[in-house]
Amino acid sequence: MEYMVEMRHITKRFPGIVANDDVTIQIRPQEIFALLGENGAGKSTLMSMLFGMYEPDDGEIWIRGERVRITSPNQAAGLNIGMVHQHFKLVQNFTAAENIVLGTEPVKRLFGALPCFDKQQAEQQIRDLSHKYGLEIDPAKRISDMDVSARQRVEILKMLYRRAEILIFDEPTAVLTPQEIRFLLEIIRELKDQGKTVILISHKLEEIKQIADRCAVLNHGRLTAVRDVKDTSTREMAALMIGNELPEPMEKKEIQVSREILRVEHLTVENKNHLPVVRDVSFSVRGGEIFAVAGVAGNGQIELADAIAGLLKAKDGGIYLNGADISQFNVKRRIVSGLSYIPEDRQTTGLVLDFSLADNLILKKYGREPFSRRGILNPDEIGRYAEELIGRYDIRSARGKRTLVRSMSGGNQQKAVIGREIDLQNPLLIFVQPTRGLDIGAIDKIHRQILKEREAGKAILLISLELDEIMKLSDTVGVIYNGTMTRISDAKSLTADQIGAYMMGVKGA
Amino acid sequence: MKKGKHLIQRGLILLLGNEKTQPITLPLFAVFLSLLLGMVIIAVTGANPVNAYQNLLQGCGILPKPSYAAYKNSFTDFTGFLNAWTPMLFASLAVAVALKAGMFNIGVSGQMLISGFMASILAGYADGLSGLTAKFLVLLVGIAVGMLSGGLVGWLKYRFRVNEVVSTIMLNYILLYAVSFCIHMWYINPVSRQSAPVTQASRLTLLDVSAGGMKIDIPLGILLAIGIAFLLRFLLNRTTFGFEIRAAGKSPEAARYAGMQVGKNMVLAMMLSGALSGLAGVTYYLGYFGSIRPKVLPAVGFDAIAVALLGNSNPAGVILSSFLISILEKGNTYMSSRSGVPGEIASVITGILLLVSACTGYIRYRINRLKECGPNTEEKGRKGRRGEQSV
Repeated sequence: MEYMVEMRHITKRFPGIVANDDVTIQIRPQEIFALLGENGAGKSTLMSMLFGMYEPDDGEIWIRGERVRITSPNQAAGLNIGMVHQHFKLVQNFTAAENIVLGTEPVKRLFGALPCFDKQQAEQQIRDLSHKYGLEIDPAKRISDMDVSARQRVEILKMLYRRAEILIFDEPTAVLTPQEIRFLLEIIRELKDQGKTVILISHKLEEIKQIADRCAVLNHGRLTAVRDVKDTSTREMAALMIGNELPEPMEKKEIQVSREILRVEHLTVENKNHLPVVRDVSFSVRGGEIFAVAGVAGNGQIELADAIAGLLKAKDGGIYLNGADISQFNVKRRIVSGLSYIPEDRQTTGLVLDFSLADNLILKKYGREPFSRRGILNPDEIGRYAEELIGRYDIRSARGKRTLVRSMSGGNQQKAVIGREIDLQNPLLIFVQPTRGLDIGAIDKIHRQILKEREAGKAILLISLELDEIMKLSDTVGVIYNGTMTRISDAKSLTADQIGAYMMGVKGA
Repeated sequence: MKKGKHLIQRGLILLLGNEKTQPITLPLFAVFLSLLLGMVIIAVTGANPVNAYQNLLQGCGILPKPSYAAYKNSFTDFTGFLNAWTPMLFASLAVAVALKAGMFNIGVSGQMLISGFMASILAGYADGLSGLTAKFLVLLVGIAVGMLSGGLVGWLKYRFRVNEVVSTIMLNYILLYAVSFCIHMWYINPVSRQSAPVTQASRLTLLDVSAGGMKIDIPLGILLAIGIAFLLRFLLNRTTFGFEIRAAGKSPEAARYAGMQVGKNMVLAMMLSGALSGLAGVTYYLGYFGSIRPKVLPAVGFDAIAVALLGNSNPAGVILSSFLISILEKGNTYMSSRSGVPGEIASVITGILLLVSACTGYIRYRINRLKECGPNTEEKGRKGRRGEQSV
């Protein structure tokens, strides 16, 4: 058996687009095979067909040298194929063990007759499994009490429990912190050593370089290259992915910073259990300056942004915008005073997913003329404005301004949020994780946009978990650790390693 | 057999596949399917389903009956039907508005009862009022009391995070027994065991109006109800207030982020929903009936939940769905007397209708999936299987 998985001449069409066009990939047993490509290149569609969620319009799938037809995920599981989706599919109020065995529960007989779920046996099985593969979890803990990386381990165990030999990971590192990513890559390598075949969907080239054996590159539904990773540079991979040469390296112009626009003084924020999550933080951002807050996830940076935007109440301290104290203002007054906010979670906070694109683009402007007058909306003006923004920010969707935002890709959703917020023409822009889960092309565009706003003299507060992003964009870096701003320095005076050390709470590095 | 299935699939895709028209075609399909199922059930009881449906329409004055009692014809039947439809329409709009704001108003019944009761004692029993003044007062009291009782629910949710489903169910019982107590103590008619009938001047339905040799009941509320439905449509779709309510309903977090006052909108939406319940209450107790039966919550308030869902919480859709359900409810007496089909069958059909319309999400999913995979999956599948065997 030369190949574990072969997908031959796969074609899949959706109304209006060809998601996969005559794609042939062959994956050897016990290798880590990466699928590279931008958002919408067809990676997930290809893997969804292998996992039985769609059927190809054309082409054949061969597993272990046998032609198969996979019509459902159950059938895929029967062929020892498992998949960890980008958005986890777990029951929140079940424990880890319950989630993992769900559907194939071990059964015991109560009073020798009544069949019922054998929880203890399930937990023991999970415990054994997690030791075997080094995936530490507490089987009795509820999913809702777990952090993201623990949930991901549960998903992985779910595959292994079903004796999966072919493991598909869809963008597994998009939601993880740098430490967690390192840990996950370790696990994936471990799985390979245990004899599993791993397919990794990703667009993070560094990670692929680190662990993958071979990679296939998809571009607009077509297979453009299959390479051995060790002979290919990341730059080359990126060029293959985008389809032409890499965009010009970004140039950050030297510009004169102007006056102070945002000043935060001794800000303290408590969470709902009255524990301080932001402690006595002070800093200021000037026009033409990108102030980046670096920190490991969960160190108070989200709460910091929410408190400045007015979504969370500050316990103590002052927030000054253009010299005026806005700490007692409600959200609307802060927006009007000059604050734009790109929130961390575009899907639940930044957008109303079941509204049309046009309605989302006026989400903060619907009350202003010409979009409404005396409380009556003006659909013509709203439509015209939406089309203008769609053009200017290159927001792509199936049905233009009438598209439900839910049906748009993550990258285009983010473009809509950023376009809307920039177009408020406010002097202060707060970006929280602006490129989370996006591909290189989209990230590049967003970074350019942020720099453009900087050149236009805006004050920018950038909160990011990606050190690369911070190093690339920031003028000033503030490191947040455990709710405290432990260090504020000129970005040029710090190396990535130093920032990393401060992020981990090392003092005096 | 396979070929037939294939053809049906294609037909369904053709009829229901267009995603733009799906909000209209799918509910119509649901109605059609349930009426079909209803026919099967009627046939099982031994009656002729076509006749039974005809009787339903005849009972509502939409089709002519073979014979009429004195002073009656199909028009008087129709106004009688309108009389029953009015409170149903108001109540369904009340549920729909709350749903748009992301809340589930199960308390329409209780809100109807308290509004009807307050309107009865404040305006319905007052002597010497002119017809116009009395009717105006009834409407005003109905709206005000409904608004207060709905607003209370919204406020409880806003201030104390009390889930509106819990608070409305509880309030239903509190109001039911409080009102029943008052009626038994002070307003009981010892013969009918109901509350004393309200004055003719305050009735929102003009009774036995003689015209063209007929005696007609004219429900004044129906014009108001249809007018308000369109007003509501405008309010929800074309005003900033409606925009805020819909945003809060779809995603409270995003609404808050956009600077909307979600709590305030919640209370306002519940007040609006309550006001509509109030109108349902007065058109029910001071229009359709002239008195209140103690210790009974009006079923209209609960049917309205289903009607609003069937109408997709959209005022125009609610007009159609409430029209349909009212035909079933109003026409069943005539149906059972004519074709011997038990009147409960109408409720069974209503139930089926709700069940099927609750499944429209699933139907939509299947249709869209069928469309995505192409109608020729079946054929492909066979080819694929042959291929497997040859390997």
